[in-house]
Amino acid sequence: MTNKLHGILFAYRSNPQLRELSQPRNTCSIPYGGRYRVVDFMLSNMVNAGISDVGLIVHANYQSLLDHVGSGKDWDLSRKHGGLRILPPFGYADKRRDGDYRGRMDALAGVYSYLERIRQDYVVLAGGDVAVNLDLDDIFNQHVRTGADITAVCTPVPRGDPRESDYFTVDENSVITDVSVHPINPLGCESMEVYIMSKDLLISLVEHCIAHNIPSFSQGVLLNLGGRLKIMSYCFEGYAARLQSVAGYYARSMELLDPAVRADLFNPLHPIKTKDQSNPSTYYGPMSLSRNSLIADGCIIEGEVENSILFRGVTVERGAKVQNCILMQGSVVHQGAVLKYVIADKSVQVNAGRTLMGHETYPLAIAKNAVV
Amino acid sequence: MKKECVAMLLAGGQGSRLRALTSRVAKPAVPFGGKYRIIDFPLSNCVNSGIDTVGVLTQYQPLELNAYIGNGQPWDLDRSDGGVHILPPYVTEGDKGTWYKGTANAIYQNMGFISLYDPDYVLILSGDHIYKMDYGQMLEHHKAREAVCTISVMEVPLEEASRFGIMNVDGEDMIYEFEEKPKKPKSNLASMGIYIFNWKQLQEYLIADEADEKSANDFGKNIIPAMLSNGERLAAYRFSGYWKDVGTIDSLWDANMDLLSVHSGIAPYDTEWPIYARTPTRPPHFTGPNAVIRHSLMTGGSVVDGEVENSVLFHSVTVEKGAKVRYSILMPGAVVREGAEVSYAIVAEKAVIGAGATVGAPPDPEHPSEDWGIAVVAEGIKVGDGAAVAPKAMVTRNVKGGGAK
Repeated sequence: MTNKLHGILFAYRSNPQLRELSQPRNTCSIPYGGRYRVVDFMLSNMVNAGISDVGLIVHANYQSLLDHVGSGKDWDLSRKHGGLRILPPFGYADKRRDGDYRGRMDALAGVYSYLERIRQDYVVLAGGDVAVNLDLDDIFNQHVRTGADITAVCTPVPRGDPRESDYFTVDENSVITDVSVHPINPLGCESMEVYIMSKDLLISLVEHCIAHNIPSFSQGVLLNLGGRLKIMSYCFEGYAARLQSVAGYYARSMELLDPAVRADLFNPLHPIKTKDQSNPSTYYGPMSLSRNSLIADGCIIEGEVENSILFRGVTVERGAKVQNCILMQGSVVHQGAVLKYVIADKSVQVNAGRTLMGHETYPLAIAKNAVV
Repeated sequence: MKKECVAMLLAGGQGSRLRALTSRVAKPAVPFGGKYRIIDFPLSNCVNSGIDTVGVLTQYQPLELNAYIGNGQPWDLDRSDGGVHILPPYVTEGDKGTWYKGTANAIYQNMGFISLYDPDYVLILSGDHIYKMDYGQMLEHHKAREAVCTISVMEVPLEEASRFGIMNVDGEDMIYEFEEKPKKPKSNLASMGIYIFNWKQLQEYLIADEADEKSANDFGKNIIPAMLSNGERLAAYRFSGYWKDVGTIDSLWDANMDLLSVHSGIAPYDTEWPIYARTPTRPPHFTGPNAVIRHSLMTGGSVVDGEVENSVLFHSVTVEKGAKVRYSILMPGAVVREGAEVSYAIVAEKAVIGAGATVGAPPDPEHPSEDWGIAVVAEGIKVGDGAAVAPKAMVTRNVKGGGAK
C-alpha cells in the first residue's frame, strides 16, 4: 500500500461501567495486556498497514492518553509531514460545544476542517477502545477490489455488550443487508466499528449528518443510507477484546493467559507497539513462585503469583500471595498480603498482611494510587 | 554550536577473548543483563551526566552496532545539535587514511569531528565496562584540579593490582607515575579507562604522538606517559561504585550474575540513573503451569515452563517443560527444548538447545579443574537432541544429536 489510507482513531469514549478503571482516563488509555494501553492496538494496526497519517480524536479526560502517545515516536508517527495529529474538541472555536460527543458523526463534524486537509484518498475509521490485531492492509485491499462504498469489519464471535454494539445481517456476497443498532440480543455478526471509505464519501456523509443533526455513524449512515450505498462486510475471525465493564475487562484480560489468544493478538509479524519505558528485566527472588502468569519487565517478585497479569514495575514482597489478579504499573503488594480476584490500578499499595478478595464475576477494582 | 564537553566512545575493539560471542559483532554490542548491550552503560551515563554529543568510534564488525545505535533515540541522543554519531575510519585526499592504529590514533583521525563542536573538554570512554558514573562530577573535579588530564581510578585489592594499569599519586591525588600491569604495584589505584582531557592540550599531544613513528598511538602507553614526562597536571578521580571489565567470558558471566545480587551495587532498579536500551516491544513474559523460577532475571516475550535458577534470560527466550537452566545466560531468542539441561553456560542469540541435551556443568568444589569453565554456544547454533556440550566448550558449529562434543 503506497500511502493511500488515512487513519482516524476515535479516542473519546468513556465507559461508566469501567468504574474505578476509567476515573482517571478514558477507555482508550486503560492499561491492558501487561504493558499496553488499549489504544496501542489500533494505532499499531494502522502503522503496520503502512498508514503514516493518523488523527486521534479526543474529547475529555485525555491527559493520560496524551502522556502515553506523546509525539507518536514510539509508533514511528513523529513525522515531518503527517504523522500523529491529536484532535481535541477545541480546535475550531465555532464548533466548540459542551458535553461529550454524542457519536462519531458528531466527533467528525468537530474536526471537519481536518478532514478536508487529509492527503490520502481513503480513510479508515476505528475505535481506540478495542484490543485486536487487525490486518487493515488486507481489509483495504478487499475494499478496493470489491468496489464497495464502505467496508465494515465485523466478527462472527460476539464479545461486546449488545446494548452498546451494532450487528450486521450479511448476504452470501458479503453485502450488509440489515443493521441492528444497540439491540437487546445479538443479531448476526457484531460490528467492530472499523470502516473504510473514500475521503470524499466520508466528507459528504459528515455533511449529510450535520445537516440532519444525526450524531451517530450507525444511525446516519448504516441505517439511513444503507439502501443507497454498497456496504460490504469484512469478516474477522481472530481475537478481539472490547473493554466495556470491570467484569468484562477482567475476563478479557484473563483470556490472555491462553497461548492461542496471545499468538493471535501479539502476532510477531504485526507487532503491537507501545511507549518505551526502559525498564530493566524482572527479578525473581529465591523464594518466589510464578505460575500461569504474564509478567511485564521491571517487576520484583519475591512472593507467589498465580493465574495473574502483572504490569511493569510491580513489586510482590516475600510471603505475599497474588492469585487471579491484575496488578497495574507500579503497584506494590507488601509482605504477607493475600490478593485474589483483584484489579489494582496504577501505583496501588497493599500493606503488609492485608487480605483482599473479589470474585471472578465481580472482581475487586482498586482505584489508582490507593493505599490499602 | 559550541559544546563544553564531547564524549568519544572507543567501540572498535574486537573483543577476541569473548570469541564466539564477538565473531559477528563488536564487543560493545554484546548483549548484557537481560535488556542491554554493553554500550548502553557508557551511552546512558553520558546522557544522565548531561553530555549530549557522543562520537562512537567503530572499526571491527560495525554493522550490528551501527543499526543498534541508529539515530540514538533510545538514549535521547537524537538531537538537532550534537547527538550520537558513528565514526568509522575513512579515506582522505590521495587515498590516504588507515584503520585506527590505536586508541590515540582513533581520536587523532577524528579531531575534525571534535572540533566541529569547539569543546573545552573531551571525555574518552571505552565500550567494555559495566558501571554507572556521573561524568559531570568527574568534569567538576577536573576543573577544580586545573588538570590537563583527569583519569578515573578505583581501589582494587593490592594482590590484584598487577592486572591493571596502576596510577601512583601524591598526597593530593595528583598522578606522578603510571605503571601498566606492574609486578610490584606501589598503589592500588587502578585506571578505569575513562579520561577527561583539555581539548586544546590533547590536540597538541595527539599531533606529536602521530609524528612519532615508534609510538603505538595508545593513550595508556604513549599519551599519558608523554604528559607525565612533560610535567603536566594529571589528576586522579576516585570512583567507588560498581565497575566491571567484561572483556572475558568469565567476567561477562560474573557481571551478569552480579545483576542478581542486591549487594553488587549495580542497582538495575534505580530510577534515578536509568540505563537505556533499544529493545523491541514484546508482550510480557509468560510463566507456564510447570514453571519454577528462582533468583533470576526474566524479560518480555519469553515463555518459561521449565526450571530456571540463578540465571539471566533476555527477551523472547523459550524454556520448555522439564528443561533446567541454572547459573546461565540465555540471550535473545534462545530456545531450550524439553528436558534439556543448561548450567554454567552462555547461550547466544537464537541458539537452540535440543530436547534432552546438556550444556555445561556445575563446578566440582572438591576437585577444581583447569578444564572446567563457562560453556558458550554461539549465535544461531543448534545443539541436537540428546547431545552433550562439555564445560568450557565454545560451540561455533552445529552439534549433532546424541553425540558428545
